[in-house]
Amino acid sequence: MPRFSTAALSKILLLAILFLVSTITCSAQGTSTTGTVSISATVSKFVEISSGGSVTLTGNSGGGVITDGVTNSPLAVSINLGELGPSNTNSFVTALVPLKVRSNAGYVLSMSATVASSGSTTNKISAADVGFGLGTINRSGTGVNAGADTNATSGDPTLAANGSINGTTGRYEFTAVRSNLNAFSSATTALSGPFIMNAVPRSNGNGLTVPAFFAVKPQFFENGTTTISVTFTVTAP
Amino acid sequence: MRFSHFTFSILMVLIIFAVAQTASAQALDISSGGQPTITGAVNGSVTGSINVTNDLVVTINFGEVSPLNTNSIVKVTVPIALRSNQPYQVSVSATGISNANAQALQSSDVGFGLQNLRLLGGAGKICTQSTHIIQSPFNNDPATSATVNASGRVAYPSSLANLSSSTLLLTGPELSKNNSSKRQQSDGWIFDVIFTITPQFFVAGSGSATLIFSIAPGPNVPC
Repeated sequence: MPRFSTAALSKILLLAILFLVSTITCSAQGTSTTGTVSISATVSKFVEISSGGSVTLTGNSGGGVITDGVTNSPLAVSINLGELGPSNTNSFVTALVPLKVRSNAGYVLSMSATVASSGSTTNKISAADVGFGLGTINRSGTGVNAGADTNATSGDPTLAANGSINGTTGRYEFTAVRSNLNAFSSATTALSGPFIMNAVPRSNGNGLTVPAFFAVKPQFFENGTTTISVTFTVTAP
Repeated sequence: MRFSHFTFSILMVLIIFAVAQTASAQALDISSGGQPTITGAVNGSVTGSINVTNDLVVTINFGEVSPLNTNSIVKVTVPIALRSNQPYQVSVSATGISNANAQALQSSDVGFGLQNLRLLGGAGKICTQSTHIIQSPFNNDPATSATVNASGRVAYPSSLANLSSSTLLLTGPELSKNNSSKRQQSDGWIFDVIFTITPQFFVAGSGSATLIFSIAPGPNVPC
């Protein structure tokens, strides 16, 4: 029966162990039958306001729409209400500005306004003389969520229920809740509601539309000029 | 001190076992196919190895996918390398993205397709009697095949919603000319996995998923 020396067998044993280790190592580091791909994404709250279309100006004497609204374009409208003295015999000069609001979260539409007149007496046009309100809210079209909104204004300011002549001063006043710009001397909520858009791309042109009414009743205001500046802001609290 | 034939025989068995391990080590292999890429992302990223001899470990962050991202689509391309000395099949298992709100990001909002199967170098094997087959419905580029469905939401021919615990993606004949126990730079095939998300008015939040790709012996087709 043949026999091997201790030294020879020790070498063979060492080689075998090294070979096994290297094989196992190569197998573990060199190949694999699986691989992993991990995916994540973020959706932040998003709100936007844009023009809901062309401005409608009625009851004006002179004046006109200087910069009109263009649907789905940034809201940047400029209007000349024309003559607001008694020479304008219409009941009201009214500008109707369509707004479009879109969001993937509950939203708040607020507004702030400044009114600056050149006159020097209390008979000049003031913020209280400019009626304001939001009209009928429309959520329609593909991709628009059917939610219930809260209109914090009293709607069309020219409605009889929203204003009247002051029995003492004789001046016409917009008396309903948040029915004139005096209520918006600082950012104040005009409209709020749940998310507007379902999961659709921004290229979907639909959204919530609402007309913003601005109205002035021609009166014996102090002569001069008046500049009204209004800023709408939509947020997702 | 002397050893018997019995001891010598055990040593020989160990050596033969090691040799056998070597011969079968690279029968099937999946690895990185190169640098993943991402386009259209806002605050997004993709990480993975550019080296085709490294393991497939890719992390995709699509970033912002609300309308704050004004790009039309976020697209990620992940190259995956395959090696085998026998017919193979590639499967994937997916977990994640299970938002209860239907308007939040869902699995169906992540497009998923396979494209561009190609040789990985000169040692990749070209078989003439069988073809590599991308299983239906995954043979598409979701970035170019996206549509808008009746509800206005973007849809894809295939998405993560088509993936289950084990979904077959690709089958074919052997891929490699050699039987190296280690990955080589040019001894297999590569295909691209394409992931897409179209920014939309999803409900605010986040989503995540994990995909595990695996290669296994496939249908016995001739080369």
